[in-house]
Amino acid sequence: MVFGLLVTAVMGQRSLESAYRTTGKEVVAVFEAQREALQSCSAVLLQGRDEIGYGVVISADGYLLTKASLVLEVDGLAVTVGRERFKEVEVVAVDSAWDVALLKVAAEGLKPVEYAETSAVAQGTWVAANGATSRTRRRLLPGIISANSREIPPAGGAALGVVLKVEGGRLAIEEVAEHSGAADAGLKKGDVIVKVGGTAVAGVEEIAEALKESKAGDVVRVEYLRGEREFAVDVRVSTRGEMFQIEMDRNDMMSGDFSKRRSGFPRVIQHDILASAQTMGGPLLDLDGKCLGMNIARANRTENYAIPLEELQEIAAGLMKQVAKPAVESGE
Amino acid sequence: MGRMPLGWRRFDVSVIRLIVCFCGLSAAVAIAADGRLAVNDKLVPEGRKDLLVIQDALTGVLAKCRAATVCIEIGEGSGSGVIVSKDGLVLTAAHVSGRVGKKVKVKLEDGTELAAVTLGLVADSDAAMIRITDEGEYPFVEIDRDDSLRLGDWVFSLGHSGGFDEKRGSVVRLGRLVRIANATLQSDCTLIGGDSGGPLFDLSGRLVAIHSRVGQQLQVNMHVPMKIYLDNWEGMMGSEFLGEGPFAQKPVKGSGYLGIATEAAEDGGIRVTKVGRNSPALEAGIKLGDVILTMNETAVRSRDELRELLKELAAGDEVVLEVRRDGELKTLTFELGER
Repeated sequence: MVFGLLVTAVMGQRSLESAYRTTGKEVVAVFEAQREALQSCSAVLLQGRDEIGYGVVISADGYLLTKASLVLEVDGLAVTVGRERFKEVEVVAVDSAWDVALLKVAAEGLKPVEYAETSAVAQGTWVAANGATSRTRRRLLPGIISANSREIPPAGGAALGVVLKVEGGRLAIEEVAEHSGAADAGLKKGDVIVKVGGTAVAGVEEIAEALKESKAGDVVRVEYLRGEREFAVDVRVSTRGEMFQIEMDRNDMMSGDFSKRRSGFPRVIQHDILASAQTMGGPLLDLDGKCLGMNIARANRTENYAIPLEELQEIAAGLMKQVAKPAVESGE
Repeated sequence: MGRMPLGWRRFDVSVIRLIVCFCGLSAAVAIAADGRLAVNDKLVPEGRKDLLVIQDALTGVLAKCRAATVCIEIGEGSGSGVIVSKDGLVLTAAHVSGRVGKKVKVKLEDGTELAAVTLGLVADSDAAMIRITDEGEYPFVEIDRDDSLRLGDWVFSLGHSGGFDEKRGSVVRLGRLVRIANATLQSDCTLIGGDSGGPLFDLSGRLVAIHSRVGQQLQVNMHVPMKIYLDNWEGMMGSEFLGEGPFAQKPVKGSGYLGIATEAAEDGGIRVTKVGRNSPALEAGIKLGDVILTMNETAVRSRDELRELLKELAAGDEVVLEVRRDGELKTLTFELGER
């Protein structure tokens, strides 16, 4: 019978009806069990009526993980879990190396994500993740694991987030990038950088050399002069591509929207789901509905990255510790 | 709708109007060819069992298909290709190879670099061949010679998306065959620059098509079917330039550019008196005062003789110059630029 249907479709049409394409509704319907898992273990992040991303439910009492850069500058962030809407969302802690935020909503009895045994599944293995969402219903997009698990080094290298000029043999800050480690650490235009990571620096190349081994999220000691006084401060290192506009290449132009932060991850697994920058942050599930990782970046038209479940659990544990013991303001 | 050829870093995005010309689809679908998975004949997989059939088939043939998938490096850009014979015949796209008889580099998945030369191409359907010239035995895949692919079949693509990345490897994508036209197959396996020339496989691991171009929507991805290669096999093996554009342009004699000014030298040859900025000559390392003695093994005794030789050459052609510099002989090999 089914076979007969296909013949009809072939004879009657020159192309496959959209419902039967890989992301068509009839094919997606085969993944109903995984969709039901998404319904309970994924959260929808909203700004007003706009969906801006997804999250992973990690506790019954309302702790969620998501991609930090999706939520850090959002006013009026709301979250839907299951069918329930939460308008009070607290950003509890952030792991900037991985671009992961821990969120809290006042919920009870949520069904946390179940982790798979390992993220080391063969390429070609089916995976599923959040696609669009109706008000009450999660939708699913299927795909496969599509490349080797690996580190994604920071695009353009690691950087403090300052534009420098050499003035009379001194390295003066000309500009501080918004939301950079340098801005967070309080560096200002006119400050003169003396040492980075304990190494005296007098040129831009020497700073690059001092940061060569650094990864996004690492902290490096920066000693600087403001006026006559000398100060020292810990500065978080970020990927250059995240802080400064890097020129789009042709592949970027044909990729539609991609995640602004899409590099500088210590390890990712990769999949081919037809995702977008607005569908990151949610869980990546296997056919058992178990979590292989968390979607962290839409890199381009063909590549999406997810944090593997092993690292994700460590990140979650680290962030939960900060809940137990709020970080003490560092200061002299 | 405009289609983008996928040549990586080629900014001269020629927008190609694809003439979609559908052939009459025969009703002879009922006979399943050998090795054809039953799941292909279902409109949708029936539950988890069928999903696993697809997954098992794909994971079972992937390693072999991956081993035969190569990155093709040409000048600044790169594309993909796939080896189809033990001695290193590679199928790719015409807009990747670009021309006949050009030296290129082919990279295997493990990073091994091999010398290769472009053979023939079909300019109007984006098919091309390359031959690995380093001797050896190479991993290769079988071609689907029976035109056995049907609408809705599950297929997967491989390619060096965005260029070679040894840690990542080539990228695999799963999809279905969603449209069949005369010279084009369309799948919903997403492609991007760098994938051009890469292989599309059926679930048995047979090569069914080569990646060519994408539409604006993510789901619109175009491939050149094997039929085009099989129909033009001898011509391509014979290094013929077949068809007219839009995927490759015939070289135009006299379009080559060196970028130097010369004068006759007293003791034979011609002396370089100027080297143009950004010229091929500058890039090749030609210096002021060099005396050119031969080009492509023909003696050059005057500016006119050089001009005559250049008239027969086209942009992109390789030239071998023998020059005398400070009493020493040097040989410079490089490609002519576009005039």
